[in-house]
Formats: sequence, C-alpha cells, structure tokens
Amino acid sequence: MIFSATVAGRTLRIEATGKDGRYRVRVDGREVAADLLETGGGFASLLIDGTSHEIGLEATPQGYRVLFDDDSLSVELQDATRDANAAPRRAAAGLLRILAPMPGRIVRLLVEPGHDATAGQSLVVMEAMKMENEIRAPRPGRVREVAVREGQAVESGAPLVVLE
Amino acid sequence: MKKILVANRGEIAVRIIRACREMGIGTVAVYSEVDRPALHVRMADEAHLVGPPPSRESYLRVDRILEVAKASGADAIHPGYGFLSENAAFARACEDAGVVFIGPRSETIALMGEKTSARRVAVEAGVPVVPGTLQPVADLDEVRREAGRIGFPLMLKAAAGGGGKGLRFVATAADLEAALTRARSEALAAFGDDRVYLERAIVRPRHVEIQVLADSHGNAVHLFERECSIQRRHQKVIEESPSPFVTPELRARMGALALALVRKAGYVNAGTLEFLVDADREPYFLEMNTRLQVEHPVTEVVTGEDLVKLQIRVARGERLPFRQEDLRQRGHAIECRVYAEDPDQGFLPSPGRIRTLRVPGGPGVRDDSGVYEGYEVPVHYDPLISKLVAWGYNRKDAIARMRRAVSEYKILGIRTTLPFFERVLRHPAFVAGDFDTSFLDKAFAADDRERARPTEVAAIAAALATLRERERSRLKPATEAAPGAWRAAALREGLR
Repeated sequence: MIFSATVAGRTLRIEATGKDGRYRVRVDGREVAADLLETGGGFASLLIDGTSHEIGLEATPQGYRVLFDDDSLSVELQDATRDANAAPRRAAAGLLRILAPMPGRIVRLLVEPGHDATAGQSLVVMEAMKMENEIRAPRPGRVREVAVREGQAVESGAPLVVLE
Repeated sequence: MKKILVANRGEIAVRIIRACREMGIGTVAVYSEVDRPALHVRMADEAHLVGPPPSRESYLRVDRILEVAKASGADAIHPGYGFLSENAAFARACEDAGVVFIGPRSETIALMGEKTSARRVAVEAGVPVVPGTLQPVADLDEVRREAGRIGFPLMLKAAAGGGGKGLRFVATAADLEAALTRARSEALAAFGDDRVYLERAIVRPRHVEIQVLADSHGNAVHLFERECSIQRRHQKVIEESPSPFVTPELRARMGALALALVRKAGYVNAGTLEFLVDADREPYFLEMNTRLQVEHPVTEVVTGEDLVKLQIRVARGERLPFRQEDLRQRGHAIECRVYAEDPDQGFLPSPGRIRTLRVPGGPGVRDDSGVYEGYEVPVHYDPLISKLVAWGYNRKDAIARMRRAVSEYKILGIRTTLPFFERVLRHPAFVAGDFDTSFLDKAFAADDRERARPTEVAAIAAALATLRERERSRLKPATEAAPGAWRAAALREGLR
C-alpha cells in the first residue's frame, strides 16, 4: 500500500509491502525493514532496521497520534495507492473553522463578525481546568462567524469561530 | 485524633489519606458529583457527597464540609492545598465548630495568607521584600499611578492568590489595562476575590523557597530550600532540593530570615516562605503559603521526614520531634508535576479518560498520583494528576534517575506533560543548573521549537498500524462486528 502521511508540516510518501507486522517500507525513496508488534493497551514496539522504538498509538479522525518518550506527533494519512500522485488533503478553500481544543466554558469573545484577525491574535478566551486559555487564529483572516456566546459550555471539537 | 476529614480531592487527598493510614487514623473523604469515581473517594474509610461539580458549590462549601465533619465524627480537617487551605474564615469556622484545622490558627492565615499584610510583617521582622504596593490597588487610575512610581517591568498579582492564577507580567504601560482585566477575572474565578496588587519584576530571578515547621510550644525549624525556578506561565513544573544556585551561606541566611518571620507572626504548623533571589544572590521575600505545598515531597525525600504526619502531630499539640541541628539535606531530590495538558498544543488542558497507565518503579522513585487506569480526568479542577519524585546521591544522579522514571511512565488517552519533562531534563542549561524563572518560557521554548522531531518514525508507525488494522478486519468473519468497528470504538474512547 502507498500512503501520503502528513506530520509536523511535512508530507511523506510511504510505500509498504509485507504482512503480519513485518514490512519493507520505502520512505521518500529510501527502503527500510520495519516490524510493528502491538503489545497491548495502545502500545507498540516498532523495529526500523533493528532500531527499537517504544511508542503509543491513538486513533484520530485523520490517522494516528504517535507518542514517544519525549514527543508526540499527529500523523494524517491518505491512501495514495490508487492515485500515487494524490496531493495531501487541504482545508476547504478559504474557510477555516477554529474548533474548541478541549471541553470548557467560553469566558470572553474577543472578536466579532467582520473583524480582520491577524495570525496569532486571540479570538476567544476559554476556561478549562481552572485556567483561562486564549484560542488564537492560526493565520490571518476576516471573522465570518462567531459560533458561541459568553458563558456557554462547549465540548471538545465544537466550532468556535469561522475565519475567511 | 481518631478520624480526619480530608477537605480536598485528587493526588493531595490521596497523599493525606496515606499518612493517616500509616498513623492508624480514620479518613473521611468529601467529593463532588463528578468525583464519585475519584481515587480519594475509593481510598478513604468514608466518603460523603458535598455538591455539584463546580468547586464553589462543593469543595469550597464551608457549611457542607463542616456538616460532614460533624455527622461523621471527624476530630480534625486537613485542607491540603488550594480550595479552602488558605481561607481564614474556614479555619475560624472549624475552630468555632470544635474541629481541629490542621494548619495555622485562623488569625495567622489572615495575617500571612493575605500577601500585602504578610509583606508588612516581613518588613517589621527585618526581612527584605520586593518593591511594590503594600495594599491592593483600587482601579485603573491607581494602577497607573503606582506603576509609574514602582517602574516597569512589573507584576500584577491576586491579593488572595497563589499557583499562578490571577498573575500577569506587564512589560510596559500600554499593556496595563488588558493585564488588569485578565488578572482580575482569573482572580475572581479562582479565589472569589478580584483584588490585585503591584510589584516590581526582578530581572533574572530565581524562585527559592524555605520550608518551615513550628509547634504550639514555641519551637520552630526550617527544612531547607526548594528550587522552584522551572516555571511555565508562573506555574511551577519542576522543583528540586537542594537548589543548585544556593550556597551554604545563602541557605543559612534564608533559613534565619524565614525563622525570624515565623516567630514574628507566631506561626504554628507547616508553611513555606517564597523568595526571589536575584543574580547577586540577594533574597527578597515574596509571600508565605500557610499550608502544605505541592512540592513538599522533595523536602521529605532529602530530609527523610514526613511533612503530612508532622502537620498532624503538631495539630494535636505535640512538640517537634527534632531540633534544627538534627536536620540534614541528604542527596538530591527532583519533582516533576504531571499535568493533564498537551505540551505540543500550547499546554492546553487535556481532560478525558486514561486508557492506559503504567507507573514507574525501581530505586529512588516516588509517584504521588491521584488517578488510575480507566479514570476520567474531569474538566472542572486543576490539571495536576501526579507528582513524580526521584532521589539521587547528587543532582546528576537525580536527573538521570528522573529521566529513567519519566521514560517508564506511560499514559495513553489524555495528553500529559511527561514528554516535555524528558526534553527539559536533558537541556544543557537545566543540567548545568543555569536557569532563572524565565527559562521555560524563553530560552527553553526557543530551543524546543527547533528540536529534531521523529517525523519519519511516526509516519511509518501510523502507516503500519493502518495496515495491521486492515489485515485484522479482513480476517474477521462477516458475522462479527463490521469492519472498522474497533477503530470507531477506539475513536469514541479517544474523543470522549
């Protein structure tokens, strides 16, 4: 199978053949031997050309979150077997929905529809676990919609603000 | 003292219950509606519901907690830290109800717990303080006036506060108004009191604190210092004892200053005096915490004493079982605060179900935890889930042991600060002991953004995990769960 894997802003082409945990893997043209053994509880032992990695694996809507002793990385996967040249998935053109990263309560709204937000600007202040957290714009854009009101309790993943 | 009510939750409630058990004292837990499954409820001899999830309606309800104390026949209440631990009105209500409050007298809490009056006592005791307003400031006009007098940069601090809540750094006059609004709002939410005061920010400060303990017979000792400069957004995350920055002379001087203040205030029970120490090793008294501290285990580990048991013994009128000259710092201890926060997403809170939990063991490792596998960390309370402590013969050994323990500590289902600790513990400036309170937010954060990340390994792992999943769903008979059902279940678990 061929995957297009996007991780930490990088997109890698991963071609894997084999079965039962033992695979030949081509990563961006380089070939390695990889052995994935799931050891229970969401953990796995991964040997890449004999180098041992103890990792945690958590399914996400787009792929997996991979946990290391000193880092964790979200990997977005696309099946690129049929279309080997498939471009990595992009956000719907123009619109960007800012989602609540955790459950919590909306303390303050800092923008209104029509406001031109700059990259890094705080849009909403959310309270969770007794701390106020500023939810920021990842890129510049005009605020099209504010989907919450002050005092409202929201679940993780609830849309907060839509940027154009 | 036959039975103690623990007016707290989470890891500190568990810590207090452990001390009581070892002393043969019965325990009464209180809990909010969302905390029925919490570990402290399961570990205590008795547990009683005190109200709905918000702290204000449960763990801060003085009347309900005293009702439970009376109904259960508890002789004493241990408040832990946070919640009612520095609430003089609560301590007084306990005194009035004939229940021993395990901590200082209510008037001492009022005097030393309120930061502005604590500073006045410090000045009277000859203890140096950071320049600032001694009183809470009334409004923006007064804040502007006082800021002009004290000079920038300065700090806005909650008068009733602690733990980094209601605290704002203000670099210039232009930032004053926004900082005041945020500090007030956080202070109100956290402490029910929105008063703030101003203080000059010391450049390149170290945060060093002295643990003290005094009995009701006039004896007082200090249990040396804790180095607490490794802070993120003014919240301590790694503490150690001894401090790599403190010389024997400074240790003796700070200990003497702390005891002078303890005597001046007529302080009884355990307490901590927080100091800023500048680059010239001049200490400035910041505030006193009239309670146990989160980082108390590092002191326990290097001195071999049990501070919670000593608190209980002092509260029942015993004399301190040692003198100052009996106390020693032996070896080196480090604590990492394991928070339910996502270090790779700006430390946003990460409540949710703990799917897998593997706790480190082996020589010299202590885990003061309040969670278990399958437990759901609620969104309503502080994100601290555990304190991991490592001991070594010296600082180098303690760091090596802590790195080993952090790598053994596995938590899946929620994000925690564990991976972040591994990166801090190996940073050259941390290893060298060369840091100040800005280290994590500035020098470390800049280096951390540039770190090499295991992107290829992660991509291979995710791809192969997907392949394994497809192989398994192919093998499954058609009558069983539809393909992808396992994954859907895993997703639901993960997202909950």
